Amino acid sequence: MKDNVVVRITEVKRFYQMGMVAVHALGGINLKVEKSEFVSIMGPSGCGKSTLMHIIGCLDRPTSGHVHLDEVDIDKLDDNELAAIRNKKVGFVFQTFNLLPKLKAIENVELPLIYAGVGLPARRKKATELLEIVGLKDRMYHRPSELSGGQSQRVAVARALANNPSIILADEPTGNLDSKSGEEIIRLFQELNSRGITLIIVTHDQEIANHGKRIIRLKDGLVVADDRVTARSR
Amino acid sequence: MMINLIDPLKIAYNSILSNKLRSLLTTLGVIIGVAAVITLVSMGEGAKSYILGQIGSWGLGANSLAIHPGKEEVALPELTLTYGDNEALRQKVGNLQYLMPEFVGRGRLVYGHREYQPAYTLAVSADYPFAYKQQAVVGRFFSRAEEEGRRHVVVIGRTVVDKLFGAYSPVGEKIKINGVGFTIIGILEEKGTLLFYNMDDIVLIPTTLAEQVLGVTKIWEIFLTVENEKDVPQAIIDIKKTLIARHRKEDFHIHTQQGLIDIINNILNALTAIVSAIAAISLLVGGIGIMNIMLVAVTERTREIGIRKAIGAKNRDIFLQFVFESILITMTGALFGIMIGTLAAWGIMYFLKMSAAIAWGAAYLACFVALLVGLFFGVYPAMRAARLDPVEALRFEV
Repeated sequence: MKDNVVVRITEVKRFYQMGMVAVHALGGINLKVEKSEFVSIMGPSGCGKSTLMHIIGCLDRPTSGHVHLDEVDIDKLDDNELAAIRNKKVGFVFQTFNLLPKLKAIENVELPLIYAGVGLPARRKKATELLEIVGLKDRMYHRPSELSGGQSQRVAVARALANNPSIILADEPTGNLDSKSGEEIIRLFQELNSRGITLIIVTHDQEIANHGKRIIRLKDGLVVADDRVTARSR
Repeated sequence: MMINLIDPLKIAYNSILSNKLRSLLTTLGVIIGVAAVITLVSMGEGAKSYILGQIGSWGLGANSLAIHPGKEEVALPELTLTYGDNEALRQKVGNLQYLMPEFVGRGRLVYGHREYQPAYTLAVSADYPFAYKQQAVVGRFFSRAEEEGRRHVVVIGRTVVDKLFGAYSPVGEKIKINGVGFTIIGILEEKGTLLFYNMDDIVLIPTTLAEQVLGVTKIWEIFLTVENEKDVPQAIIDIKKTLIARHRKEDFHIHTQQGLIDIINNILNALTAIVSAIAAISLLVGGIGIMNIMLVAVTERTREIGIRKAIGAKNRDIFLQFVFESILITMTGALFGIMIGTLAAWGIMYFLKMSAAIAWGAAYLACFVALLVGLFFGVYPAMRAARLDPVEALRFEV
């Protein structure tokens, strides 16, 4: 059923012009992610993982090829429409959390709602619910500097969920965390996935990748493997 | 869709508050510029009302006229007006209130072995206290009967009293003016200085003694007032008709006090405008400072911009955030500047013993100009911020 496809990538290439040389970050990628999948993208550094992530998340455009998000053709959208897609359909989680340091936890979670035009009472309520889901009800009014890494990343997850996105994209979400906090974040992702949320995470940690349902391996800008995670390896 | 302005405004506001010292330093140029303009305009307004008030207190209201000899105003005119002209005007000018011819001469005063030459020895009519609003505070002024009866009576100013008599009251004393004996009958109310002239260094004798005592037969000025401001145009017609009939030519000219007030207003307004324009240059300099800081802020906050874009901020959202920041900074600066400028004007004018007028017009204008400065110098940095590529912005390390 077409209805279940969240991400459809067709022959996507991405070059960067570095001076005189064109660098091939992505060399022709085909990929389909369906609703409620939990996909890990793995590969050595420089293989194009992050570029692929940015293209799926509408932060970047492919040099050629097509990207469909919820069956919407991204190529045809202008910058403002892309911003709206990022706001409503995509939730980003970054390795370095990327919270705004001067805002309280709850205000960080509210940010996507502000850009979605949600009024203050409604977004306060929603942000409070989300912080409850990620287990930070008692830290709502703390600033990022007063939170641990694990707590900060959970705020970032709450922020990513703010507009009920079609997909959560996490770029090395445990890269800056100790193993216990990392484990907690992955468990949070599994819990969200079990509620039907689609997830794509970039990681180079096999352990982390094994928590997902599917592993895609990239090398030199190409997909070299696409495997289901078996119960045994999990 | 209505553009939401409240949220970008709040974001800008919070961002300014989170960096108080820098925001204050950034807006210092605007504060100083606006404060300077407000101070100068307030002082200008204060000086204007002070000078106009002084003119009013000297009796120079809108119902007064002055006739000067000569076809137009010159430094040393040929004197053409006589006491006869004065008496003719007394008959002919309608609704005449006070008529005050003024003979100007030099008087050498002798009292015992003391001598003194005051700045002004004038022969005036009995209308003097009413026309110039200066009464005798000790003793009395001479009457019209004494004037017509050529009585040798004199009224003197405070400075003359101090020079000749010290603390001792001179009313009733006999003095000689240019060798002619006079009795002092009154001391004039103190006037202080008017436009830098000491108005208390003065001796007044009746007009009818001008020729005998001062050797002057021609009038320096005829000052007159009519019952009402509305009577002024008819008075001008009467004066011209009467004097031209007597002189067979127009060898005099008439000042209305409104004309004088207009001139003073124009001069002070021009001065205020010029000085304020110079002060306003610092607003421009302040604006450039704001643009500089905003460009630095955009670079510093590249990552923040990347984050905001990643979670859905449109270019317009980022643009508004930075433009509002710049406008808020300049507007806050303008408000501080208005407060500081008004206080400074009050302080200075208090020291000068005048009162400052609050320059509301200049205050509104300053706010408006600050808005324009914030907009003009904020747009370019905000555009730079809005156009940042989100992927590159997210990679940016400070």
